Amino acid sequence: MNTLAKQRRVFILVSLVIPVLLLVGFVVFPAVDLFRMSFTNWDGLSTTSEFIGLDNYISMLHNPDLWQSLGNNAVYFFAHLLMIPVELAFAVLLNSKLRGAKFYKTMVFMPYIINGVAISYAFSYFFSPINGAFDSILEALRLGMLSQNWLSDPKIVNFVLAFVSLWRYSGYHVVLFLAALQSVSKDIQEAAIIDGANTWQMFRYIQIPSIMLMVDFVLFDNIRGALQVFDIPFVMTSGGPGYASSTFTLYTIKTAFTFSNFGLASTMAVAIMVLIIVIYVIQNKIIHGVILKEDK
Amino acid sequence: MKKISRRSFLKVAGAAAATMGLAACGGSQSTTAASGGAAAGSELSGELVFTIWDNNLMEYIDSNDMVGKFQEKYPDAEIEVEKIKDDSEYWNAMKMRASANQLPDVMFNKPFTLSRFKDYLLDLSDTEAAKNNTLAAGYAVDGKILGVPMTAGYEYVYYWKDMFEEAGVEVPTTWGDFQAAATKLQDHFGASDPDFMAIALGAKDEWPDYPFMEFMPALVNGNGQNWNDMAKVDAPFAEGTDINIAYHRIYDLFTSGVFGKDPLGLGNDQATTLFAQKKAAIIALGDWGLQNIENGAESIDQLGAFYLPVRESKSEPFRYIVQGDSFMGVTTHSKNPELARAFIEWFYSEDWYPGYIAYISSASSMSNFPKDKDPVLAEADAAQSDGEMVMYDGGGDDFTAIQNEIAFDYKKLGAQMFTDGFDLDATLADLDTKWAAARAKLGIQ
Repeated sequence: MNTLAKQRRVFILVSLVIPVLLLVGFVVFPAVDLFRMSFTNWDGLSTTSEFIGLDNYISMLHNPDLWQSLGNNAVYFFAHLLMIPVELAFAVLLNSKLRGAKFYKTMVFMPYIINGVAISYAFSYFFSPINGAFDSILEALRLGMLSQNWLSDPKIVNFVLAFVSLWRYSGYHVVLFLAALQSVSKDIQEAAIIDGANTWQMFRYIQIPSIMLMVDFVLFDNIRGALQVFDIPFVMTSGGPGYASSTFTLYTIKTAFTFSNFGLASTMAVAIMVLIIVIYVIQNKIIHGVILKEDK
Repeated sequence: MKKISRRSFLKVAGAAAATMGLAACGGSQSTTAASGGAAAGSELSGELVFTIWDNNLMEYIDSNDMVGKFQEKYPDAEIEVEKIKDDSEYWNAMKMRASANQLPDVMFNKPFTLSRFKDYLLDLSDTEAAKNNTLAAGYAVDGKILGVPMTAGYEYVYYWKDMFEEAGVEVPTTWGDFQAAATKLQDHFGASDPDFMAIALGAKDEWPDYPFMEFMPALVNGNGQNWNDMAKVDAPFAEGTDINIAYHRIYDLFTSGVFGKDPLGLGNDQATTLFAQKKAAIIALGDWGLQNIENGAESIDQLGAFYLPVRESKSEPFRYIVQGDSFMGVTTHSKNPELARAFIEWFYSEDWYPGYIAYISSASSMSNFPKDKDPVLAEADAAQSDGEMVMYDGGGDDFTAIQNEIAFDYKKLGAQMFTDGFDLDATLADLDTKWAAARAKLGIQ
């Protein structure tokens, strides 16, 4: 091995030391410890804990409130999933020579950069049953009969919260799609136009395949975000009434900090990791294998 | 020379908790002081961390130079006052610190957290502060005073006198009277204002129902040890038990329509503001709530207070809750426990405590520094001069263990009572089943 190659190897190794140490210290070790804790009955305070085998996993599977919370996560997941084509359409529209596109881009992205807790508080007042802006708008439009208990009716509360989540995150997805669309080669697009491709064919056969990596990322981000949603229900409803708007993460944190059951909460954290991976794999198979009919 | 510096930082952790362990979010600000000063005093020296959540205390500490005053007696002492956002966040932070051996030198507790942190607190029984405190001995754990309560906490029902007068309602002295008064107020004012609430309750936040859900079981028969006694039986929610009686009364009230059109849609801040604006006639809060009402009201000339009447008839004694609040204790993690004890002695001495207790609306817990109640709060005592105080215990080890095992959350249960289809009897029966199973599993006799 010549000197240059040696120096190169030394440089790479030295450069990797700190990132690897950080990764091991703050990701790998906590993840392993989380897994270990999931088999204990640690209460978060005691200096000792007992190994209780699979008790936490069995208890978790038999917890109806947790299942209800997970069901609520599904509302966020499907709401965001259904919005992805709309977000994509917005991105295509903003990528075209639209008058005022920059202004729209800024407006669309704005909700994402506002603090999530502030948004949740603002929407709490927006949907308030007394002096609430939304009910006032309905009244002004002579649609007062549509007024509901937006934050306390178990039948609709999750849809209201999912709407707030859409308001906040859709712009982020639009901007991601837009960035990807802008990176699509102009040469290929011009060649397609010369070959007679119409707008739909251009979108379906040129743009979509070119930005598939970003679509995959957004789909994964949707799963991760939907299963880990926390701030919006925490601030707007505290997961209530009862557990009607609780989510998996909200329930996990309550288990740990309110009921001092860190062992069980760790089990839930492990479960959510596994769930994210499983749902991603299934979703990937459906989208690539069934909808897009790709041969991977 | 004394030097005071401020620093603030925000700790944020969010949903990543689900995958990377369990994190919490909170905010803190702290005031530090370096040693110095020329005053003579003790040989004690070192650094102390004093962690609090109370905004009023923080304001008073800042504006009255607590650190400087302490250093006049202990010139070689350094104190860092660390402020956590609120008490919920406080317990999360303290739990994490306890497991990391990083508890502050001096911390606060509530009655319901004393038993949780008992292994981390030093015995203060021999301090003058504990001896002069009217409530400390009543909260001793295994015979040890682990915290000296800073205030005596009372619960009140605030009301607008002019609204009572207009609706022709008297201050109630029995539970039946209370329900009837609320109904009459709702009928009277609700007829012209569909948003009106006879009783304001921010049930969306769940915790504001505590004057009912937490304290009423103890008030039914005057048993401040109710939670602990429940831990001794398999069916504490069965018919005829204190909690069963209390929760049926609460359920009747909660479902009678006197909390307005959507109590679950409002948080405590909104409910308190609406009460202050006379969009509600009644609100149940602790003594601390008076300052919040004052801040939101144009005038409190017509504001009155009474104790929540829980008794069924006037032949029963009138009972009301008192509890020690903000139990100041020294932790086992303190590197300067003697200095920490000296700080507590100083805090409850004439050098500091009288000024502070005069500044806040809460009552004094010290026999050597009595305090007259605010005129609004004093009305409650005047109305029930022969009232019987019930000293509330937040629940010991056994109760807490069962509560955690079955995830019994009485505040959430109260909020659930407002939902359609809620079946109280079925819920209480289910709780009994879980309770018995938990006792068996945990080996609690």
